[in-house]
Amino acid sequence: MEGLIGIAFKDFAILAADRMSAFSIITIKSDENKLYKLSDSLMMAVCGEPGDTKQFAEFIEKNIQLYKMRNGFELTPRSAATFIQRNMADYLRSRSPYTCNILLAGHDRETGAELYFIDYLATLTKLPFGIHGYGSFFGTSVLDRYYRYDMSEEEGTKLVLKCIAEVQKRLVVNLPVFQVAIVKKGEIKTLPDVKMTPIEVN
Amino acid sequence: MSSERYSFSLTTFSPSGKLVQIEYALSAVAAGAPSVGIKASNGVVLATEKKHKSILYDEHSIFKMEPITDHIGMIYSGMGPDYRILVKRARKLAQKYYLMYNEPISTSQLVQKVAYIMQEYTQSGGVRPFGVSLLVAGWDSDRPHLFQCDPSGAYFAWKATALGRNHTNGKSFLEKRYSEELELEDAIHTAILTLKEGFEGQMTADNIEIAICNAQGFKRLTPAEVKDYLANVN
Amino acid sequence: MSIMNYNGGVVIAMKGKDCVAIATDTRLGVRSLTLTTDFPKVFQMGPTLFLGLPGLATDTMTVYQRLRFRLNMYELRENKRVRPQVFTSMVSNLLYERRFGPYFVEPVVAGLDKDGTPYIASMDLIGSYQEPEDICVAGTCSEQAYGMAEALWEKDMDADKLFEAISQSLMNACDRDAISGQGAIVHIVEKNKITTKTLKMRMD
Repeated sequence: MEGLIGIAFKDFAILAADRMSAFSIITIKSDENKLYKLSDSLMMAVCGEPGDTKQFAEFIEKNIQLYKMRNGFELTPRSAATFIQRNMADYLRSRSPYTCNILLAGHDRETGAELYFIDYLATLTKLPFGIHGYGSFFGTSVLDRYYRYDMSEEEGTKLVLKCIAEVQKRLVVNLPVFQVAIVKKGEIKTLPDVKMTPIEVN
Repeated sequence: MSSERYSFSLTTFSPSGKLVQIEYALSAVAAGAPSVGIKASNGVVLATEKKHKSILYDEHSIFKMEPITDHIGMIYSGMGPDYRILVKRARKLAQKYYLMYNEPISTSQLVQKVAYIMQEYTQSGGVRPFGVSLLVAGWDSDRPHLFQCDPSGAYFAWKATALGRNHTNGKSFLEKRYSEELELEDAIHTAILTLKEGFEGQMTADNIEIAICNAQGFKRLTPAEVKDYLANVN
Repeated sequence: MSIMNYNGGVVIAMKGKDCVAIATDTRLGVRSLTLTTDFPKVFQMGPTLFLGLPGLATDTMTVYQRLRFRLNMYELRENKRVRPQVFTSMVSNLLYERRFGPYFVEPVVAGLDKDGTPYIASMDLIGSYQEPEDICVAGTCSEQAYGMAEALWEKDMDADKLFEAISQSLMNACDRDAISGQGAIVHIVEKNKITTKTLKMRMD
């Protein structure tokens, strides 16, 4: 029912996540945070089972920070993705698997911006763009049509908005607020939330 | 004596850097019955003394030479009961390896694994080192192999060697007799002659044991076969 | 729907004269939705040894990683390269260790022996294997691939003919399966040469 969008360009990547927190058919709140900053140029978007997402995301977050403290340098996006995948795969075949879907966006000094897609089964793959949730059925085709590797930040942001607009228009589920962030070399920039204008009642 | 202060715990080094319990184990080996191994161009021979304290023993019912797989066998000098533990472990390791890789274990791999076990017994609590040294004969990769395994967990590859009582004499005898072109038949003779060095009393088919390992596999010689070889030697 | 058909994908292996070939598609999807067209299911495990792991993608990765670990340890321990037959036994054992909670992959092994003898093997998800004289097939369009491979395979094909046969088998099998295809990679293994080719096919 939730939606995560990620796109990687030449030297920056964009992550977008809806802000809904649902219990059964009820929206509990509309300002939930699903983007986790792992380092200066690494960010993770997480959705899935409410308890699991927070627990697992924080576990990963803290371990990646611990790695930097211990070794004095950061994990590359590729290594961070492998670390997440290994942990998820091990948990998958334990008595308490974590049910969460992850998009990992980061900037690598050598290869530029990267996006990794990890689902609740611990399937890991590197993509130019990826979407988790029912939004993927509408969003991926939009991205297939309009995505270009060399887009500017402005064009990229517009492309994400196009996806969000498509999801909000066609998906029966209500996802009124999205948070958006841009991941660049040594910098993560949070953009203002994307909101649908609610109906005004006097 | 100062060394006695370090001789109780087998995991405590003496000031000179020795583990005395392991040295005592080697003494047990050096006091044990002699055994000989010679690698020939087309096989390996193992020979050992098997003397009994009384003529009432049924000497052909028990063996010192033991097959581990079709193509690996071993003999020991030292304490018989300890040896049987290692034989059991070695056989189990070989079977595990075969089940995992669908290929018979190589002699060097088996020796490595057995040596690993022997090392464990020098560093674990509540145990003592094995009072045996092993001679392992094998045939794989189209050639013969001969290894020695010590209580410390050290192992060596030999062309020919002797263990147990009189092993220094045995080794110098082998140094004089050994040649690279040696064939299995000659090696059996040399092995018997090496055992004969310092053999007390008459050597018969009843008080020595011989085994060979070649392309056909590991095989204990029957008393009748041993008798023939002895006849040729005398 | 079976868990084996969750991500889609197919692998074929064929024996030729003094050569073997192994081919994989490159699609990764979630049921009918394609995620990426850059997900090969074949891995090189030695100078003349390849392993295909079609099935559930997460297990493709886990099984590959665990086998790579065991293989590295084997080669360091024994100071020699693994034989294809021995490797098959390792894969089979790894899978059977999970007899009552299996990895959902159907491995295919292809390689040349030390003396250059072609070898192929395939197994089910709990490690029961067979070593056929002609072809091995596994994945979501294995039925179609069997049909094609059986029709095109001949005894003693040289490397070029083998490449043609395996490529046609894979591509035409994928065309009749919605969740396989979107690119393919073929490895042809000869005594002293490995040729890897990417097939041009429909990517939509």
